[in-house]
Amino acid sequence: MGEALLAGLLAGGLSPAEVRVGEKRPDRAAQLTERHGVSVLPNTEAVSGADAVLLVVKPQDMGDVLAEVGPALGAGTLVVSLAAGITTGFIEARVPDGLPVVRAMPNTPALVDEGMHAIAPGSHCDEEHLARVEEMLATTGKVARVPERQLDAVTAISGSGPAYLFYVVESMIDAGVTLGLPRATATDLVVQTLTGSAKLLAETGEHPTVLRERVTSPGGTTAAAVRQLEDHRVRAAFMTAMEAAATRSRELSGE
Amino acid sequence: MAAPQKDVFRLGFVGAGNLAESITRGVVRSAVLPATSIRTTHHRADRRSLFASFGCRILETNAQVVEDSDVVIISVKPQIVRQVLTELKPFFTKDKLIVSIAAGIKMKDIKDWSGKSRIIRVMPNTPSAVGLAASVFCTGETATKKDEERVSKLFGAIGKVWTADEKYFDAITGLSGSGPAYIYLAIEALADGGVAAGLTRDLALGLASQTVLGAAAMVNQTGKHPGQLKDEVTSPAGTTIAGIRELEKGAFRASLINAVVAATDRCRELSQS
Repeated sequence: MGEALLAGLLAGGLSPAEVRVGEKRPDRAAQLTERHGVSVLPNTEAVSGADAVLLVVKPQDMGDVLAEVGPALGAGTLVVSLAAGITTGFIEARVPDGLPVVRAMPNTPALVDEGMHAIAPGSHCDEEHLARVEEMLATTGKVARVPERQLDAVTAISGSGPAYLFYVVESMIDAGVTLGLPRATATDLVVQTLTGSAKLLAETGEHPTVLRERVTSPGGTTAAAVRQLEDHRVRAAFMTAMEAAATRSRELSGE
Repeated sequence: MAAPQKDVFRLGFVGAGNLAESITRGVVRSAVLPATSIRTTHHRADRRSLFASFGCRILETNAQVVEDSDVVIISVKPQIVRQVLTELKPFFTKDKLIVSIAAGIKMKDIKDWSGKSRIIRVMPNTPSAVGLAASVFCTGETATKKDEERVSKLFGAIGKVWTADEKYFDAITGLSGSGPAYIYLAIEALADGGVAAGLTRDLALGLASQTVLGAAAMVNQTGKHPGQLKDEVTSPAGTTIAGIRELEKGAFRASLINAVVAATDRCRELSQS
């Protein structure tokens, strides 16, 4: 994820000379320098004098990393965290007083510049800080501003969301194979159907129900299939699945 | 310029039952026809005096009703339609329109039994009694445009009217024919929910039925997609979406879909036997 964001920033016009990456593993460091021309330094040196610091470490390492780099952050440094479940409060308690902190929830399609990033401001953030973070993340997808209390729901929807869609894809491919299609054919059909449907939705701006109804001709194949989905309470399954994800997100950020 | 001529025609009911009564009330109330244009008969005195009280012409026999009418509505029970049409066959002349409201009786049967093809078949539903029927008609080979207009006006006096091919009539029966019963169930259950939540039965039932009426009126009058209307009332983490979640868990949508399909299938079975 960190590398995807880096690549996005560089493609968006940031010069490699303006970026310093904190990465402990020597092989990974070498890779990043080779691919992107950025200098890789120990964490405290990487953040020293920075206007903005992006923290893309695992949630369980955030405590240690903040202990390490916190003192090295200069006044006015914009701190952006992508660590799931780590609250702005947690970060603000471990960095110099008054630093603007923004929490971001990205998702994996950022890797292909189709990410959905949600950003939430901490206590010392203003419009300018949010705008800067938006600008940084917009290179790898869309950005939505949300109050921090909505981030568990966001995690459930767009954070884990790609997984639900892959789940549906898997199911449809298996169904295709069950119906006699070669797996490769079924895969091509499903992937393009997913892509095309998403595009249709995004570009027409039509209500998804209306789009669904347009494909559902009287007494037809779609109607027969949707009836099965309703019988199997798939809508309710999605609802409770996402509730479980949001609950888990809340639990994790409380731990 | 002369005022447009109002189309006043002689309307006869063979079978002066509930639907004949509903149509008569609606037609007279909305002045589609004067009561004196309507004629019928019945073996029971109370039915005869009821129609007389509307101002209709009361005759002695069904044959007289047919002879004295331009449009004849066959509103007897489905199981006696064949017998009635066979008896009245000599009186159905080409200048008359035969309108059947008998559930499950196809136009082909009406044609075979009456000997005529100037037929319109209508599937209304029980809310005709309160002027809120959903009626659908299909037309026989020699029915005219004017015949269609007359039927539209007659059934428009008791609710809304659509036209559809006869092949859809099983599904229409399954949906609008049987539909009021599905909604009665829903109203009962909503009221039960109200009582479970602490309301008195009277209040719960009144709220339940007015809510169903209101929701239907919103769909009809705003022209908005019901999905959109639902979106508009489901605020984030609010009460309504909590209720809807329960409906989805209970496969509410599937239940209604399956009800309509089952009723359609049953209608088809019955009309084939």
